[in-house]
Amino acid sequence: MAAQSNPLQSSVKRSDQWSNLLVAVGETRDRAAFADLFKHYAPLIKSFAQASRHEGWFPGLNEDLVQEVMIKVWQKAAGYNPEKASATTWIYTVARNCRIDMLRRKSNTQHLPLENEDYWHEPDEETPTLLLQQKRSEEKLRESLAQLPKEQDEILRKVYLEGKSHAETSEELGLPLGTVKSRVRLALQKMQILVPAEFQDELTHEQ
Amino acid sequence: MNSKTVHHPETSMLLEFSAGTLETAASICVSAHLHFCAHCRDSLLRLDQVGSKLMEDSQAEPVDEALFASVMERIDRLEDGASESDKYSQVGDYPPSVNKLIEADDNPPLWRRLSGSVDVASLKTGQKKFEVALHRICAGGKTPKHDHGGLEYTVVLKGSFSDERSVYSEGDFILRKPGDTHQPMGAQNGECICLSAQSAPIKLSSPLGFIMNNLLRINPR
Repeated sequence: MAAQSNPLQSSVKRSDQWSNLLVAVGETRDRAAFADLFKHYAPLIKSFAQASRHEGWFPGLNEDLVQEVMIKVWQKAAGYNPEKASATTWIYTVARNCRIDMLRRKSNTQHLPLENEDYWHEPDEETPTLLLQQKRSEEKLRESLAQLPKEQDEILRKVYLEGKSHAETSEELGLPLGTVKSRVRLALQKMQILVPAEFQDELTHEQ
Repeated sequence: MNSKTVHHPETSMLLEFSAGTLETAASICVSAHLHFCAHCRDSLLRLDQVGSKLMEDSQAEPVDEALFASVMERIDRLEDGASESDKYSQVGDYPPSVNKLIEADDNPPLWRRLSGSVDVASLKTGQKKFEVALHRICAGGKTPKHDHGGLEYTVVLKGSFSDERSVYSEGDFILRKPGDTHQPMGAQNGECICLSAQSAPIKLSSPLGFIMNNLLRINPR
């Protein structure tokens, strides 16, 4: 966890200011740091909320989500590991989980015993090579994301921001499911997110 | 926690998991697989990074000025109460998401005999599309040959089993669809426990299977 930093790993420690602020919140309950985080992330979380095209989502929920996410950030900051992910990635996962949980609480068909974050437990093992890769991939990501062809970018936005499943995306764009999946795969390859050889077999099995 | 898993969920499932659009039952199975598979955890982190970049690059929406004060007020109220502690207790040695499902159930799941060599314990998940359950095959146990009426996700939690296609060990993730007929067998060296999610009952392939098939049901809870 963040508090016990390993000297071996300090060279790969993230130095971006948001991660440092988040660590300060976790370690010393630093309210000034939290205020800075709020100023930066609250408008981004609101924008993420506003992008939702989930059935049952309405504008009144946007700022509710901001509140829920920021309170979770305060509560869970001590568990944040800056060596594993940037503050932005970590806060994104909190926002995603909160958004799903808010929707489920509103739904009449699902009364789930667990919250979405319960499915995102994080085992605390890391290998330094993995960390270096992660850091590099995060740096390259923004650049390669900006260079994606429009048709691939559009699908990623629908899935991540609007919260559409692949099936819903395919219906909405009038494309076969296989085309949606292959565009996603091409985008991920282009961004060098996934190139594991052992997945090749499975990919050929997909329809 | 890091056994060498060979069978992984397909990329599109991981991406839907990362984006939060994957159905609950499938998410539970992916989550159990992630517990065992460092490789997919690594992929997931990268996929989460994609989501975070998309969020970061979107047009920031100004929030109401009173919002910060109201968040701090709620935080102060929380701090007065009990401090939030992580409740990662270990009921069994299942992956945490499975343990938590078991813990959250007021009526703890019980093993029920399904056939001579298979026991089943249904898990309460609150969604209605899939029956999510643990299956236990005894050492060397043979299960009847069957086809699948719908989708079936399986993750091996303990031990191993095999069918006509492959051997599946701890952490392996298997997706079966209608038309995929197989006859799983437990490994000789010990019992095998799997987590599974089924959207429809299996169909027995034996000549008299049609009699039994009418009795097979799924029971999502």
